[in-house]
Amino acid sequence: MLTGAVGALGGAALGVGATLAAEQSDDSAAATPGTSADRVPVYGATQAGITRPATPQPFGLIAVADLDNPRDLTFLEELGETIAALVADPPRGLLPDGPVSLTVTVGLGPRVVAAHRPAWPGSQPLPRFARDKTISTTATDGDLLLTAYATDPTVLPPVLDHLAQLIPGYRPRWSQRCFRGPGQGTVARNPLNFLDNIQVPRGAEELADNVWLGKPLAGGTICVLRRLRLDIDAFHALSVAGRERVIGRRLDGSPLSGGRPLSAVNLDAKTPTGEYLIPNDAHVRAAHPSFTGSHLMLRRGYGYDNGAGDAGLMFICFQRDLRSFVMTQRRLDQLDALMHYATPTASATFLILPGYTARLALGGGLS
Amino acid sequence: MAVSAAGPARARPRRRTILVLLIAFAISLCAACGSSGHEQASKPTVVRVPGDAATITAALGKVATNGLVLLSPGTYHESVTVTVPGVTIRGTNRNTVIIDGQGIRPDGIVVTAAGVTVQNLTVKDNTFYGVLVTGEPSAAEGQGGNGYSTADPDKFPPVQRFRVDHVTAENNGLYGIYAFDAQHGVIEDSYASGSADSGIYVGQCRQCDILVQRNVAERNAVGFENANASDSVYVVANRWSGNRVGMTLLSSYQEALRPQHHNTVAGNLISDNTSAQSPAQASGGYGIGIGISGGQDNSIRDNRISGNPYVGVLLDNTEDIPATGNQIIDNALAANGVDAADISDSQAPSSKNCINGSGHATVRPAALAKARCPEGSARSTGVADTQLPTLTAPPGMAFLDVPPPRAQPNLTGPLDTPGPALPATVRAPDLTTVSAPAPDYLASSAGTG
Repeated sequence: MLTGAVGALGGAALGVGATLAAEQSDDSAAATPGTSADRVPVYGATQAGITRPATPQPFGLIAVADLDNPRDLTFLEELGETIAALVADPPRGLLPDGPVSLTVTVGLGPRVVAAHRPAWPGSQPLPRFARDKTISTTATDGDLLLTAYATDPTVLPPVLDHLAQLIPGYRPRWSQRCFRGPGQGTVARNPLNFLDNIQVPRGAEELADNVWLGKPLAGGTICVLRRLRLDIDAFHALSVAGRERVIGRRLDGSPLSGGRPLSAVNLDAKTPTGEYLIPNDAHVRAAHPSFTGSHLMLRRGYGYDNGAGDAGLMFICFQRDLRSFVMTQRRLDQLDALMHYATPTASATFLILPGYTARLALGGGLS
Repeated sequence: MAVSAAGPARARPRRRTILVLLIAFAISLCAACGSSGHEQASKPTVVRVPGDAATITAALGKVATNGLVLLSPGTYHESVTVTVPGVTIRGTNRNTVIIDGQGIRPDGIVVTAAGVTVQNLTVKDNTFYGVLVTGEPSAAEGQGGNGYSTADPDKFPPVQRFRVDHVTAENNGLYGIYAFDAQHGVIEDSYASGSADSGIYVGQCRQCDILVQRNVAERNAVGFENANASDSVYVVANRWSGNRVGMTLLSSYQEALRPQHHNTVAGNLISDNTSAQSPAQASGGYGIGIGISGGQDNSIRDNRISGNPYVGVLLDNTEDIPATGNQIIDNALAANGVDAADISDSQAPSSKNCINGSGHATVRPAALAKARCPEGSARSTGVADTQLPTLTAPPGMAFLDVPPPRAQPNLTGPLDTPGPALPATVRAPDLTTVSAPAPDYLASSAGTG
C-alpha cells in the first residue's frame, strides 16, 4: 500500500526512496500503517524528530518561514497541541493510513530568539562561510523551522500546510523535500553512496554532553541546516579508492586507518613512511571535532533531488552550541577534499525548542 | 562524570583497609625479626643486568627506591615500564646498550614514577616511543587516535622530576623522547633520528619547568615539538637541523592546557631542514625552521636559523587560537626561503609579534617586518601561502629504514653508583651568555649537514 501510493507519484527521487522504504519493512520506522508501532511519541523532554525514532523516517519535508511579528509566539501552544492531536488521533483527511511515524519538530530562528531572550543560545545567526556566496538570500536564515518526517512522503505537504494555518503572519521562505536510504540508527548511505552519520553521540550521557542544552532550555538544541548540491558525477569519476580517500572510510564504512565497518577513525595511524592512513584532506579528518574543541554533532542528514542536476545532501545536525558547527565548517572550507564536490545552496540555524507535554506547552519558557 | 565520581568514592574505603593490613603486617615482621629493616631496606641499591637480573623489568622489580639499574652492553628486547621512584636506568655504554623494539613493540622505556633518570643507552625501532615520561599511563598506548577525549591533567597529575640524558633514540614510529604531562625535568645531551613524528617532544604541561638542552635531532619528520607545554620550558643550545621541520610550538585542541605560551628558545642551530632520509611530516611540512601555530608570548632569541627553503620562522593560527606576542630577537636569520612569515588567516589574526636585530632578513607581510619588540604588530592577517616558496617534499622514508646515527658521546664519570636525587625544580639556564651558535654546532654528533 505504501509502495503503491508513492509509485503513483512517480519521480526519480521518490521512486528510489519508495524502494528503500519497502526494503526496510522490518524496521520499526516503517512498520505496518495503522498500528501503534508507527506512532512516534510526541510528548517528552525533547521534541520528536531529533533522537526519536532512533532510525529516521525515510521521507522528510523541511519548511523555513518568516514571521510578520517575531515577538508574537502565542501560536506555539496551539501548534504543539495540534501536532500531538495529529499523531494521537490522525484525521482521515490528512493521515488516511494512520500516524505513519509522523514527527513534526519546531524551531525558532535567531531573529525570533533574540527578540525574546538576546543572550540565549540560538540568538546568533549562522555566519557566511567561504563558499556561501552563491546561496540565494531567500535560502538563508528564517524565523521558523518546521520539519516533518514520516514513512509516507505524501502526507508531509498537507500536514505542514495544515500547521502553517495556525501561525499568524507565516510567510514561506524556502523548503525542501528529502529522503534517505535504509539504515540502522542515524547511519545510512548518503547521495555519494557512502555510509554517513556514523560517528554521532549515542546514549543519554553522550547526548547530554554534546546535544541537549541546559536550563532554561533543557531538552532543546541548536540545529544547523545546510543544503549541499553535490557534483555526484564528478565524484563518481574518481576511482573507488579515490572516493574512499576523499571520505576517509571505505564503501563498507570501515576507516582507512583499519577496523570494522562503523569503527571509530584512528587519526594518528600512519604508514611506515610517515603518511597518515586517513589522508590529511580526508573528510573524516577535516570534520573531526578533536581539532576544533567541538562537541560531537548529532547528524541526521537526508538526500534530496530537485531535478535538473540539483541533487545532493540536506545536511541536518544538532549540537549544544553553534560554535561547534562554525569551527568545523571553517576547517572543512580550508582542508576538506569533499568540499570540492559540494556547493551550498541553503544555510540556516534554529533553536529547537525543548520538548513538551499535555501540561507543559511548546515554547512555554519563551513567550 | 557520574561514573568517575562514584568510582573513587567506592574504592577509597577498600584501599584504606589494605593499607591498614600492610602496616600491621610490617609491624608484625619487625616484631618477629627484631630489626628496624622492612622490605624496602632489604632491596639492593644497584642491580646489574644481566648479572643480577635477566631483564630490565626483572631488575626494576628488585631494585630499591632511588637505586640504580645498570645495563651491560647488549640488545634488550623489552618494553620497560618504570614505576620505582627515584630510580636510575643507566647503560654502561650509550652506543652498545640497546633497547630494541624490533618494529613490533610499542615503547622502549615508559616512566610513570617521580624522580627517574634514564641515561647512556639507545632505544630504537619501537612503534610508538623510545622514552616516554608521563603522568598519564594510557599515553603509552598512543594518543588514542580517535581524539574524542583528551587526557585529563586533573585526573592524571603531571609526573614530577625526571632526567633523560645521553640517550640515543633511533627510528621510533612516533616520538624518540617524549615528556607528556610531566614537570620539573631535563632532556639533555641526547640524540633522536628516524622518528615518524618528532624526535623530542614536550607536551601538555603548565609551569612545566623543563629544560631541553644540547640535544641533536636529525632525520625526523620534526626535530623538536611542543604542543600545549607552557611557561618555563627552555629550549637552549640544541641542534635541530636536517629534519623536515626543525621545531614547532603548537597550540592543539587535541590535548589539554591550550594555548601554548611563554617558552624560551635560545642559542639553537635550526638549519637545512630539507631531509629526504626521514619519514614524511604527515601534514606535508617541509623546509621549515621553526613553526609556531597558535603559540603565544614565546621568546625566540639568539638562534641560528638558516637554509630552510620554505620559511625560517613561520607564524600561523590554530583554528581560532591566534599566534600572538612572539618575540623574535637577535637571531642569525638568513638564507631561508623566506626568513620569517606570518600566514595567519582571518579566523584568528595574529598580533603583537615582533622581530628585532635580524639584519636584512626577508619578512612577510610588511606589517611583521616593521613590528619592533616589545610593542609588536597590530592585529592582522598574514600572507597567503601563494606568496611563499613552492616546494615539493621528497617521499617519506620508512622510519625503520632511516640510516643509523653516528656513535654518540658517552656519559662521563663513575657509572656504577646512583646519581644524586633529582632536584625539586630545574634551574632556569643563564641566558645572558647565550649567542647564536656556529653553523657547525654539534656537527660531530650529526650525520647530516
